[in-house]
Amino acid sequence: MALGLTLAILGGALAVILGGIGSAIGVGLAGQASSGVMSEDPEKFGSLLLLVALPGTQGIYGFLSSFLVILKLGLTGGTLAAPNVFQGWQIMIACLPVAFTGLVSGIHQGKVCASGVYMVAKQPKDLMKPVIMAALVETYAVLGLLITILLLNGISL
Amino acid sequence: MAIAEIQKVQILAYSGLKQDFLSSLQEEGILQIEKADYENLGLNMPSTEVSHLDHLLHRLTNALEYLSQWEEKGFAKKLVSQKPQIQRQEREKVLKLDYVKLLEKIEDIEKKKNDTLLHIRFLEKEEEFLSPLMCLDLPIRLVAATESTEVILGSMPFSSFKELSSKKEEALWVHVLSQGKRTVHLLMVYLKAERESFEQLFKQLGFYPLYFTEPMLERAVSQDTVNDLAEKLRKEKTISGDKLQALENEGKDVAVYREQLMRIYDVLLNERGKFLSSKYLGETERVFFLEGWIKTQDIPRLEAKLQPYAELIQCYFRPPLKDEDPPIVLQNPSVGKPFELITKLYGLPQQGTLDPTLPLAPFFFLFVGLTVSEAGYGLLVALLSFLYLRFAKPKGGLKQFLTLLSVLGVATVILGTLVGGWFGFPIRQLMVLDPLKDPVSFLLLSLGLGFIQVWFGTLLNMISGFKNKNYLRAIFVQGGWLVLLPSLVVYALTKHSLWGILALVGAGGIVFFASPSRNPFSRFFGGLYSLYDISRYLADVLSYSRLLALGLATSVIAMVVNTLCQTALGIPWLGWLFAALIFVGGHLFNLGISFLGGFVHSMRLQFVEFFSKFFQSGGKPFKPFELESKYVEFM
Repeated sequence: MALGLTLAILGGALAVILGGIGSAIGVGLAGQASSGVMSEDPEKFGSLLLLVALPGTQGIYGFLSSFLVILKLGLTGGTLAAPNVFQGWQIMIACLPVAFTGLVSGIHQGKVCASGVYMVAKQPKDLMKPVIMAALVETYAVLGLLITILLLNGISL
Repeated sequence: MAIAEIQKVQILAYSGLKQDFLSSLQEEGILQIEKADYENLGLNMPSTEVSHLDHLLHRLTNALEYLSQWEEKGFAKKLVSQKPQIQRQEREKVLKLDYVKLLEKIEDIEKKKNDTLLHIRFLEKEEEFLSPLMCLDLPIRLVAATESTEVILGSMPFSSFKELSSKKEEALWVHVLSQGKRTVHLLMVYLKAERESFEQLFKQLGFYPLYFTEPMLERAVSQDTVNDLAEKLRKEKTISGDKLQALENEGKDVAVYREQLMRIYDVLLNERGKFLSSKYLGETERVFFLEGWIKTQDIPRLEAKLQPYAELIQCYFRPPLKDEDPPIVLQNPSVGKPFELITKLYGLPQQGTLDPTLPLAPFFFLFVGLTVSEAGYGLLVALLSFLYLRFAKPKGGLKQFLTLLSVLGVATVILGTLVGGWFGFPIRQLMVLDPLKDPVSFLLLSLGLGFIQVWFGTLLNMISGFKNKNYLRAIFVQGGWLVLLPSLVVYALTKHSLWGILALVGAGGIVFFASPSRNPFSRFFGGLYSLYDISRYLADVLSYSRLLALGLATSVIAMVVNTLCQTALGIPWLGWLFAALIFVGGHLFNLGISFLGGFVHSMRLQFVEFFSKFFQSGGKPFKPFELESKYVEFM
């Protein structure tokens, strides 16, 4: 069933697209803030890099889920799976948790990291505190990823 | 549990000893000086003046920065280079070198060098100015107005020059000195009588007059032409260049003192610290008074150190009073020591409460292992941090962090072998659980670990309740939760009524003792409301599901990297190269993000889920008066 396969691929694509958008915006926000700080204090590159990289995980979670879909469908080689329309919908919907939690939490984690960058500018010793704050936001992307993995695992083709 | 015992120390001593005494304290670094209560004790506040030291330190910093250009460079060298060392007791000897003279010499070299460089730049500018005028074969001093003619040098755009040559001006003589692509340099002579009209014309043509500068005219004696002058400039430049080289060599000679200046800097830095700390002391004419905190176990060390002055010094020790807030030092056996870093990050415990370091250590160890769950990465991290610790011998925070990292690397090797793989290749014989094949069991494992930690946190809360003599609440409320939570879980699994009854007993304790109110109604309903906390416990336990998600993420990305490698191997001829690049790059990337994620999320589980059960932070860190160092290391 070609439609089923298409829907499943759409799901995988959505996971990587939305997660990627969230991370791109998030990393962008934090990156802008850190360039501002580095213009005053170039020595801080190392510690700021950590904060800038942090909102990047959502994109990776999306990529990872998408890859699980690819493996499930056998798109890397071997026999191509032939999901019916319902299975196609199931796979697509299973991808939505990581896609949407990644999109929103990526953006907000970026904001938290950007203010963390300003904090590190004034309190260089407290680097880990904003990192923890950012991890609080990431929790929801992690939970979204978890559900997506469990759902994908549960769908039988 | 593991907070060191602290005592207040009060010292009275003869003022003549002040400097020696403070030096000894600084050497030992075991006592935190508190500001004396001058007013209540009727003491004088000593005056402290450190601006001369500040000035010297500033000059030293500049000199060291200047000398640093002769430092041996190279990343690898910097990575493992060690700081120069000084014996603590012998630090004053360092000051024997006449460093002020040395400083003056360095500053002099630096100034001369800058002046010479400036002079060379000036000469270059002049040469640049002269270069288009080389064809002028006249003595420079003769290029000046005569009685009836004006003589002028300058340049104009090429197009204007063409316009000028097309006009036949009787009273103007033009000589082309050089012709560039766009501009022409000219020497022009015209009648003074017609100056105004010519000036008007030149302005229209965009003529830009050039004048020899004062220094040029001074240099050019009698018959010197532009050529001669340029020759002179060149000679002068060579002389300056030689001078620069000589200064460079001189600087190189002085650079051997760099290490000594570093020592001097650090010794003076500590002299400054000593002066500054003396302002916490109270004084009378003959005696000074000092108050501070010291670890009980360090008291004999202090007494031994003060032995030589025993007759002139009187020390009193006592435990802290109720209303005093002594500083906190964590004290753990060497197994738990690296984990102190995590506690310190959150904040030190208050005096008289539990130190959470040891309780969190096994959980943190497990959690990082499970979230990274990649034995190969663990081995790499453990090995690298161990090697760095072994060869570069870092100190302080970095050392503690790397020790923690190597411990966590070991955790990852163990748990990675059990539930993950080696660089994406699982070793099936050693695996107890494959999260990719059986995620539900892994989820239950994560939640189970979470349940244990949350329950343990509540247990610690009960223990600290006993410590604070809050017996009723500890037994019935915390005890109630301790009974209620596991029996509820077992009841849900087995449906055996015994466990249901136990759960009810636990809940009863909470309902009747959670609310402090004396009114029986509000007490009952308040207690009932606090049963609602069960949702918080549930949320806390569910939060541990991240262990599965992060663990899976690492394994899947490792797998993805390996799949990509396999695909790359299919490329003809260069396949192996691409595959190797993807393998190394991909796994390094995964190592970075999985360790970052594993570290941060495991830490969050401690801070948010575990600490919230029992931990009270807000302790002040213990900051002993000790030798600080910037460039050297005190032995």
